[in-house]
Amino acid sequence: MAYVGWLYLFSVLMAAALLFAAVFFMIMFSDLESDYINPVDLCNKLNQFVIPEHAAHGFLTVLFLLSGQWIAFLLNAPLLAFNVRKIMKQNHVYDATEIFRTLEPHKKEIFIKLGFYLLSFFFYLYSMIVALVSDTP
Amino acid sequence: MGALADQFGQMNMGQKGLRLFTTNLLTSPPEPMELRQPPPEIVLPPNSCLSQSPFANADSSYQRSTLNAIPTTNSLLNKSKIPLGLVITPYRSLKEGEDEVPVVTDTVIARCRRCRTYINPYVQFIDGGNRWRCCMCSLSNEVPQLFDWDQVRNQPGDRWARAELNHAVVEFVAPTEYMVRPPQPAVYIFLVDVSHNAIQSGMVATATRTILENLDRIPDDNGRTKVSIIAFDTSLYFFTLPSGGADSSMLVVSDIDDVFLPKPTDLLVNLQEARPALESLLGRLSDMFQDNHTIGSALGPALQAAFQLMASIGGKIIALTATLPSVGVGALKNREDPKALGTSKESGLLQAASPFYKTFAIECSRAQVSVDMFLFSSGYQDVATLAYLPHYTAGQTYFYPAFNASRTEDAIKFAHEFGKVLAMPIMLEAVMRVRASKNLRMSSFHGNFFVRSTDLLAMPAVPQDLSYAIEVQIEDTITSPFVVFQTAVLHTTCYGERRIRVITTALPTTSNLSDVFASADQVAIATLLANKAVERSITHKLEDARDALFNKMVEILSAYKASMTAAGAGASAQLAISENLKMLAVLVLGLLKNVGIRQSAQIPPDLRAYAQALLTSLPSQLLIPYVYPNFYSLHTMPPECGTVGEHGVIMPPPLPLTSERLERHGLYLIEDGQTLFLWIGRDAVPQLVMDVFNLPNYEVLRGGKTTLPVLDNPFSQRVNAIIQKTREIRRGVYHQHLYIVKEDGEPPLRLWALSCLIQDRADVLPSYQQFISQLKDKVNGSGY
Ligand SMILES: [Zn+2]
Repeated sequence: MAYVGWLYLFSVLMAAALLFAAVFFMIMFSDLESDYINPVDLCNKLNQFVIPEHAAHGFLTVLFLLSGQWIAFLLNAPLLAFNVRKIMKQNHVYDATEIFRTLEPHKKEIFIKLGFYLLSFFFYLYSMIVALVSDTP
Repeated sequence: MGALADQFGQMNMGQKGLRLFTTNLLTSPPEPMELRQPPPEIVLPPNSCLSQSPFANADSSYQRSTLNAIPTTNSLLNKSKIPLGLVITPYRSLKEGEDEVPVVTDTVIARCRRCRTYINPYVQFIDGGNRWRCCMCSLSNEVPQLFDWDQVRNQPGDRWARAELNHAVVEFVAPTEYMVRPPQPAVYIFLVDVSHNAIQSGMVATATRTILENLDRIPDDNGRTKVSIIAFDTSLYFFTLPSGGADSSMLVVSDIDDVFLPKPTDLLVNLQEARPALESLLGRLSDMFQDNHTIGSALGPALQAAFQLMASIGGKIIALTATLPSVGVGALKNREDPKALGTSKESGLLQAASPFYKTFAIECSRAQVSVDMFLFSSGYQDVATLAYLPHYTAGQTYFYPAFNASRTEDAIKFAHEFGKVLAMPIMLEAVMRVRASKNLRMSSFHGNFFVRSTDLLAMPAVPQDLSYAIEVQIEDTITSPFVVFQTAVLHTTCYGERRIRVITTALPTTSNLSDVFASADQVAIATLLANKAVERSITHKLEDARDALFNKMVEILSAYKASMTAAGAGASAQLAISENLKMLAVLVLGLLKNVGIRQSAQIPPDLRAYAQALLTSLPSQLLIPYVYPNFYSLHTMPPECGTVGEHGVIMPPPLPLTSERLERHGLYLIEDGQTLFLWIGRDAVPQLVMDVFNLPNYEVLRGGKTTLPVLDNPFSQRVNAIIQKTREIRRGVYHQHLYIVKEDGEPPLRLWALSCLIQDRADVLPSYQQFISQLKDKVNGSGY
């Protein structure tokens, strides 16, 4: 199996992990809405995952760039830019004092990410199979 | 009120007797007296209330709704375009002669099993009086056994005499189920900035003198109150106050990176036991640091130290500082950038520059610690960032720009306000929740508190006379003929009793758009819009906040024109609105011209941030003059004005806020609840100047901050009586500075005073006439 196959296999696993993280965020937000968790604990918990999530996605995107997987790279570039911009403006962390006011936009963002990771998952899976098939003599 | 309306408008009959009068804004100018009218009457369906008491519905000074008839559906509400919300001042102070809030002392607290509503005058007794039906969720509940028992006399009591069935504002003494821990004593920790600037401005001397003079007024009915004083510059100075003894010793901590308490005991002490030591320390503190040349402030570490001292109890930190925090955690940079003012970058200056003031606020909130900030800097102090701490811990920010105690007026103002804050009873360890009838939901919250869960507001200490605004959403069709809003504040009084203050407002529902308009409360709407505008200016841009205000006004006018006038969707030569909303447009203009919102490249960020703190915390009684100031002509006032009448000193009639009313020989009073301006025209006759200022003529009179002499002539006494009354008439701690403004005096002061006359054109800001015609063009152009 050539390195492209390995790359996409890795991507599939990463996408699954990111997908899992997004679902976790969604569940936490709905817990907040039903008062199962207070805003301070929620933000402390979620903020641990923000940077790893962004980093994992960034790493994947850079891998695509280095290996010349242009379609996969272009697919991920906008989200990477979005994340980088958020970190530059220092508003990537969840703020417990504002969380109830900003809950709707946060939920929307996570929902879109969830959809995006789901699509990526299938795209990587497809790309992996294509790579494997073309690899076979 | 009616006569004016009939002249211009048409008349409709509302469903339940509320009459809708239409008025034309183009031809009927603002009438300041109308802002003093009570809100539209609440017309409840017959038999909705158990009690005949006039106090069975909450007074608007405690709780008011933007609509006094609630639309039955969200689409009807949307049609009116009026925002639905509550303006709540749960802990308002009582003026002399006002009745105390009745207290239910027998700890029999009847609450709905399902929605936890407290029993109130709007429930129904059923099943022969053995059960009661909840007015919010209709669940039938059992009446508690001891409800009809008089525990004081130990005999059967009269249910109908119970306070909670006759009063909309009551307090229950709470049994132990309402306590997480035993009620804690009140704790006051004073953080006093003793750096060079603070000492030189005289702040420290004035502050310590004020504390000393007010030691007897600090709430301490049961002798449990604890106090501590921590001084700081770039180091921290602790003082041990041994009980009984008169000497205190100072402990210096210069390691501000890892704050620790130098001694486990004697730092936080009982007020009564340590009184001699405290008095001697307060007498010496300013002198001890007289020659302090240290510049800079370790406010953050000082706050942390105070927090460590009190974390197990909670209470109040009162921070007094004249310096931008420069070292340790929470250090801030001077980010004042004149080029950013008036641009889209300006709102960045209103956001917190350091996350410390938010994260620390959350820690405080959890430990039941509230922070008040008293700020005195002559330079940039980042009021915006510092104000976040009081904001999220339910405290308040007080700002004395360029404070200098050698000016008597500065010292008096600060000492008066600080003294009132010290003497103010506070609610400790409080949480507030607003419940409402089915299908009504509290959707967003404005004011000084931390939102701890979807509808629970955490307030470590509730000061008096702060206001909170809550937006309300209609989730589904309301079928009941009336709805109930109930605010409950669970708290510990400052003398150690756990209590619940309950405020109940019942409002009729309506499916009729004209009732919605006829019942709208313009004062409550303006208060809610002020809160929303400030929030928007911080999360978006100042310009967005102004646009949103203007657009909201256009929407309301368009909605009114489309549904309530014959013009419908077509163009109209009129700008129609109901009589009860006639002042809304000028209030919106006042907001657009307020220092907190105004379009300008000249407003220092500190002043802007402070104005915003006021806009989001003042109760309507103080907010309305802050937005639409009072303007009186003194030289032409009727002879009875300034003399004592039936209701105290008689005030002159307020004038509309336009400089057309300024005569060159006149004397005027302009006041916005925070500042008083005595405007004198350049052709004022010497007799007038003599009578009021004891000076021979206008030329020798000097403008600026002053104290007006009381002279031996009737006019001087009347003017002084009016100023005195203006300072006392409202609730709250504010003591207004008095400025003499000469018509040809220094331009900045003149412009400041004139900026209160909001119906004038100023720079890029439109006059009232221009504003109204802008609104009219938009309303006609938008084609609703
Ligand atoms: Zn109920």
